[in-house]
Amino acid sequence: MKLLVVIVLFGIGFALLPLENALRTERLQMKYGGAHVTFQLREAIGQNLAIALLAGMRGIVADFLWIQGHGFWEKREWLRQYRNIEVAVTLQPQSIMFWDLGQWHMAWNIGYGAFSDPKNRTKAEAIKREREWHEKARQFILRGIENIPNRYELYFTMGWLYFEKLSKDCDDPPCSEAFCKSADYLAMATSYPDAPQFVPRLYARALEKCGDLKAAYEEWKRLWRLDHSTTEQAWSIIEREIRRLEDYLQIPNQQRVFPQPTP
Amino acid sequence: MTESAIAAPSMSRERVGFSAHRVSVIAVNTLTEAVRQKVFILFLLIGLVFIALAVFFAQFTFGEQMKFIKDTCLGVISVITTLIAIVGTAQLLPSEVENRTIYTILAKPVRRFEFLLGKFCGSLLLLLLSMAAMCILFAAVLWIKEQGMIRELSQSYVGESPAAHVEAQKQIEQIQTEVLDVELVKALVADLAKATLIASVTLLVSTFSTSLVFNVVVPFMVYVVGMLRGTAAEMWGAHRLFMAVLAVFPDFGLFSIADEINLGKVVPWGHIGQIVTYGVARTLVIVVAAHLVFSRREI
Amino acid sequence: MDAIRTEQLTKKYDLGWRKGKLLALEKLNLRVREGEVYGLLGPNGSGKSTTLKLVLDLVVPTEGSAWIFDVPCSKVVSRLHVGFLPENPYFYRYLTGAETLEFYGKLCGMRGATLKKRIEELLDLVGLTRARHRRLAGYSKGMLQRIGLAQALIHDPKLLLLDEPTAGVDPIGSKDIRDLILRLKGMGKTVLLSSHLLAQVQDICDRIGVLNRGQMILEGDVQTLISDQRRLSITVQDLPEAARARVEEAVRATGASIVSVGHPQTTLEALFLEALRKDQRREGEHD
Ligand SMILES: Nc1ncnc2c1ncn2[C@@H]1O[C@H](COP(=O)(O)OP(=O)(O)OP(=O)(O)O)[C@@H](O)[C@H]1O
Ligand SMILES: [Mg+2]
Repeated sequence: MKLLVVIVLFGIGFALLPLENALRTERLQMKYGGAHVTFQLREAIGQNLAIALLAGMRGIVADFLWIQGHGFWEKREWLRQYRNIEVAVTLQPQSIMFWDLGQWHMAWNIGYGAFSDPKNRTKAEAIKREREWHEKARQFILRGIENIPNRYELYFTMGWLYFEKLSKDCDDPPCSEAFCKSADYLAMATSYPDAPQFVPRLYARALEKCGDLKAAYEEWKRLWRLDHSTTEQAWSIIEREIRRLEDYLQIPNQQRVFPQPTP
Repeated sequence: MTESAIAAPSMSRERVGFSAHRVSVIAVNTLTEAVRQKVFILFLLIGLVFIALAVFFAQFTFGEQMKFIKDTCLGVISVITTLIAIVGTAQLLPSEVENRTIYTILAKPVRRFEFLLGKFCGSLLLLLLSMAAMCILFAAVLWIKEQGMIRELSQSYVGESPAAHVEAQKQIEQIQTEVLDVELVKALVADLAKATLIASVTLLVSTFSTSLVFNVVVPFMVYVVGMLRGTAAEMWGAHRLFMAVLAVFPDFGLFSIADEINLGKVVPWGHIGQIVTYGVARTLVIVVAAHLVFSRREI
Repeated sequence: MDAIRTEQLTKKYDLGWRKGKLLALEKLNLRVREGEVYGLLGPNGSGKSTTLKLVLDLVVPTEGSAWIFDVPCSKVVSRLHVGFLPENPYFYRYLTGAETLEFYGKLCGMRGATLKKRIEELLDLVGLTRARHRRLAGYSKGMLQRIGLAQALIHDPKLLLLDEPTAGVDPIGSKDIRDLILRLKGMGKTVLLSSHLLAQVQDICDRIGVLNRGQMILEGDVQTLISDQRRLSITVQDLPEAARARVEEAVRATGASIVSVGHPQTTLEALFLEALRKDQRREGEHD
């Protein structure tokens, strides 16, 4: 009797294998889950978290490490925080938030921490260390984009990093190269229809700082031409920028969006 | 004692088919038993945990808080439903036998299968009810968080330009969509399918064992092995015989989609449908197996 | 048609791995006629409860078979007209008396006003009307026995199987239950009850069977059993003293002796013990 039951269970187990495999393949295709629980990973997160991970609580484990990292930050233990961030994105490489806030911690918080570290002997050393963290953040976002190439967020993050941080890491201003890079990434971000309105605005500013004022003007104009009744935009800002660039570029009055009143 | 008392209407049907009504009577009775016991204190404690979360994560950004709260709440719900599925089902049959209540029930024109199914359905009702209770708490925590966020946001925009207010309104809307994420339902559905499956495993074990510890430990081990199956398949996928043995265990890892949903990934309903189909198919087989054992069992 | 019929009904309990088997009932051929009250007697562990459980298909016979109203006991239908009161009944502790009856009534397919009315009647019948809204967790042993009886009667079955119906019930309650059994009999119901309270059984049973170590060692009509076949008592009314002397003389003339003039009946209890004494099978025979 019990033998029969066992046989039936085995039989159905096999019959369901195709469905099981289909589900597993689909999970792989849709990049569900994350890194396998390898020996190194187990070492990195410790026994208890590894068990929680195997119990299917990947998100909670990553969150825990993240929160722990936050604690390290408050204690100015940046390296430990950095390690936790790395494990968190290893566990959940599909988390935009981890990539985004992770790079922010590196480029902004840890970078500034390294810069203002009293152990720095010279100003040059401080600057060098800060720049190293900016570069780390850049590499970090690149990996993020590899994992999540189909969303605007990390392109925007990268654009913002170039705009705000990497642009200041060159020794002879105006450092337009970094802004051009920024514009490239922001162009990518802008191309996603679900990108919020501040993305193309930053894109236009990056274009201007890159030196391509014409392109910047075109981008502002593109925004202005959007349907005012259905799209929400900070129309006043766009108008101000267009007027400014039209003056600066000396656009002929009849071609202007906002022609000057003839005196 | 009146004479008329004994002269009650007699039953005239001479056929006893499968009756969903009897199953439901037993199921409701099983649920009543569970509810009148002290399970709800457990829910109260869980509720406190949930509410503590909302306070605990307050120092983080909105995105972080949402992820943490959702991860933890769905995690807690998943763990508790699994526990209720195992512990709630493990004692159903043994306690019926031990209290000898089963004698009076099976001495009525009740099929053993009806009894078994009724008990199982009662266990599922309890799962549904507890899940609903936890979801309400979960929703309440999210709502509290949402209100707090919106209040904070509107305060920070006081006295700003009208354009900024438009911006603020957009942000509020975004908060609202993120908080009231209907996608979360998918995770709960998968969770319920998983809990149903593990409950059926427990039911099967409890048809041939009267030891409560055994009835809890074995399903738990089946769960662990099932959870590791996916990992095992990835690691030693080539080893045919090993995988063949593992095929008896349901792959519980396939039910974990809460993380993906919290990451904002697309989890199509088709995928959920397949998960549920898989869970239900497995469950049906196991319930039939449980019936095969139970129908021959001495009580 | 017999209410209950068993043929060579045998039950060996599996005691588990390497512990062998226990013969609880051996080749029982039982017949309970429709409309009678049958008492199944026997010492503890003699197989009374096992017999009832076999008839209800709660345990599966090792050999032989049983029928209720000619329906094989393995079929669910056979239990359609049966009410069962197990020994030391336990019910759901968290249900009240009324809820318990409602639950069993629903299991029997009853519902609505019919069920409500029936519950009221039965609560009244077993004298639990005042305790109807109390949970069974707070019921005394006797009260549990009564609610058990009510539960067995809920669907007005034709056959009642009562396992020690008066166990744990006080003398008055016990009398009530016996009266009830007699009344059920009067209504044409068949009752099979098990007991070891012999004096009580004597009053209500039409027939009895005595089980010992799984075997029927004595069976028959109560009245026949308790009358002594070697002795004869003639009950005469208004016999004059002179006539009595002549009767006694006539008796002596046949060579018979007059033992006493009075009540020649033995008690059921004595009979029971005697039967056990005669049954001298040894312990070993059980394994
Ligand atoms: N489930 C079981 N497993 C093993 N042995 C059992 C089981 N049930 C009963 N027995 C044994 O079978 C024998 C008959 O038991 P049964 O309960 O039928 O006796 P009984 O006549 O009802 O006794 P009592 O008057 O004490 O109720 C006993 O020796 C008992 O130990
Ligand atoms: Mg007994």
